[in-house]
Amino acid sequence: MNKITRLKHSKNMSFKELKDNYQLLRDLMDFIPDVIYFKDRKGRFIMVNQAHAKGLGVKPEALVGKTDFDLFQKHRARKMVQDDAQVMKTGKPMIDRVERATRPDGVDNYVSTTKIPRYDNKGKVIGLIGITRDITRRMQFERLRKDKLSIERKLEALEELSAMKSEFISTVSHELRTPLAVIKQLVTIVFNEVVGQINHKQKEVLQKTLDNTERLRKIIDDLLDVSRIERNTLKLHYSLVDIADLVKDSASFFTELAAEKSISLEYSYPKKPVNIFIDVDRIRQVIYNLISNAIKFTMDGGKIKVEVRVLESKVRIGVIDNGIGISKSDLLLVFNKFTQVSKIEGVENKGVGLGLSISKKLVERHKGDIWVESKLGVGSKFYFTLLRFYTLDMLDKTIRDKVSSLIKKGVSIYFVSLLILNFNEFKRRLKIGAKILFKDLHAILDLSLKEVQSNNLNKQTMAVINPKVGKFSIVLPGATDRQVVKISNLLKLKIKEYFISNKIEDVFITIGTLSYSQKILSHDEKFSASRFSIKEIYIGSEMRRFKRVSLKTSIKLYLPDKKVELTESIDLSIGGICLTIRDLLKTDSQLRVSFFLPENKKFIISARVRVAWIRKIRPFFGKDVDKYKVGLEFISLEDKYRKFIASKLSSML
Amino acid sequence: MRKKRILLIEDEADMVYALTLQLEAIDCEVSSAKDGQTGLGMARKEKPDLIILDLMLPKMDGYKVCRMLKFDERYKKIPIIMLTARIQDQDKKLGQEVGADAYITKPFDSKELLDKISALLKK
Repeated sequence: MNKITRLKHSKNMSFKELKDNYQLLRDLMDFIPDVIYFKDRKGRFIMVNQAHAKGLGVKPEALVGKTDFDLFQKHRARKMVQDDAQVMKTGKPMIDRVERATRPDGVDNYVSTTKIPRYDNKGKVIGLIGITRDITRRMQFERLRKDKLSIERKLEALEELSAMKSEFISTVSHELRTPLAVIKQLVTIVFNEVVGQINHKQKEVLQKTLDNTERLRKIIDDLLDVSRIERNTLKLHYSLVDIADLVKDSASFFTELAAEKSISLEYSYPKKPVNIFIDVDRIRQVIYNLISNAIKFTMDGGKIKVEVRVLESKVRIGVIDNGIGISKSDLLLVFNKFTQVSKIEGVENKGVGLGLSISKKLVERHKGDIWVESKLGVGSKFYFTLLRFYTLDMLDKTIRDKVSSLIKKGVSIYFVSLLILNFNEFKRRLKIGAKILFKDLHAILDLSLKEVQSNNLNKQTMAVINPKVGKFSIVLPGATDRQVVKISNLLKLKIKEYFISNKIEDVFITIGTLSYSQKILSHDEKFSASRFSIKEIYIGSEMRRFKRVSLKTSIKLYLPDKKVELTESIDLSIGGICLTIRDLLKTDSQLRVSFFLPENKKFIISARVRVAWIRKIRPFFGKDVDKYKVGLEFISLEDKYRKFIASKLSSML
Repeated sequence: MRKKRILLIEDEADMVYALTLQLEAIDCEVSSAKDGQTGLGMARKEKPDLIILDLMLPKMDGYKVCRMLKFDERYKKIPIIMLTARIQDQDKKLGQEVGADAYITKPFDSKELLDKISALLKK
């Protein structure tokens, strides 16, 4: 609309239209948060909006006739007037000029200024219109976005470098192997007198050469492990194994080595077989690493003990020596890559310092923990834990071997374990012997399998019964998830009916849906072809110690030197307590605890506990306080407390 | 009894040297090829009693050579020992797929290699 039409327009408007239009403009001026103003040719304010006036702490009328010099500091006003003059002289609007102003409190404010000239109907400049908008937030957002982009770019670069580094290590390590292999062959040839007789001295020299090629080989293997672990290409192969067997293996390997230094090497295993699901070679690697370190850092005539403790849901392996120990400062770095303890006389420093860092990664891949307690001059205790699957305990060797061989063939295995808790009580209440009970359960199983109509399963299903303990395990090779869910539900129903028909009404049956394959193999899901899943069906009227609940309560820990009082979330089970603390406790040390359950503050439970395991928690975002997650095992729990906790657990689960 | 003939398909000259010394010491006749293609040709021509095959070879990699021989009625009976610096599990699996009879990683014990050779030659 040109100036003429504009003029005509308002002239032709009715009073009402004028009023309405005026109101629209008034609303704009009053409510828009941007600063809007009109100035005349001389830079004097003709009209300002509410936002402008408010910003200066005055009423809009007070600003009429004033100039920038009246409102702002000289140098600032001068600049504004300059801008105004420029716009009005050239007729060129100034659009979206970003300016920074620092507030009195030091915070930077960004504004966007727009100034456009105003014309009369003859086309002469008579003033200008200005709009100023606060864009501080927009600028902050922009800055953050830029920062984010730059960080992302740096991260990309770092990741690329890291990948290159790992690839480099891998390539170089493989390349190093070939000449090493040649050297080994050639030296062996001379050593074995294939190219002529050699004297004793020459044989000695060559033996040392061969020993060093072994050293080199180990270093290269470690480097390859590290690069593979970092690139996440390390594959784990799981199989069932009795932990005692695994530890015994290492016994034979290290006896000679220990004897050379007259170090006594003792082992202690659990009395019953404890089967666990691990990558045997890799865990063996960890055990070897810990024992060889112990031997390395223990003086002649020292003592090393390898102990296996069976905890509630874990197995804990400890390598304890009375060697030179580790200083407090080194303790923090001991599991880092390439770190080796400061050179000490009498200790050969073979290797390149990767053993413990690899061990740590391997244990962590198994969802276990590894930690060390040590005192300089006294000795060191290295511990690591592995998750334990108690249902596998009862597998006798033939079943275990069968399961292992099926897993190796890549067959998925489902394990349904019926566990009758407090079995003796059940037997009594049923008034039948264990034999009959299990025969009946077996019949129920057959029926259930028939109902699910799975021909593939009927033939290969194995049932293992342990009447003494009330365990009934079913191994279903090649079963699908759906089939197992169906079978489990059927079993649950039928067993409940069975008990009820035998007049046991308060029987409680739940299906535990722990699928260990997901827990442990999730990392390797894409690599491993077979799965081992366990579904547990609990039948009973009391909760077993393996079930735990999380509660928030006040708990007091009576440590040797102080009393610690916390209000925390703890995991409570009939076997013990698990919680987070700030104090570093010693594994196997004993202490007293007292706590109460949330609803009943008067009933305080007091118990003696043993530190079963402890692990450091990584702090979040720079909070420097050390925190530890600790597992405390009840040593002796008074009956009244045990019953209370048991009933609490069963009511909460 | 006639001497056993072993073909080495290996591009590391010193490794060939070392292996030849050891194999001749246990009374075997040794011939060798520096690359996969030549090796394959020699295997077909000579029909050795055993082949020691390195995986990283120029002109045709060890897996291919192994497959070509094992999937051929005329040569599949010749035992093949694979030699390599790589011990990734997929390498071993691949080796099994192409029909290798044994798999040894470098560096290896001479004894281990010789044991495997005697075992395979006895069959």
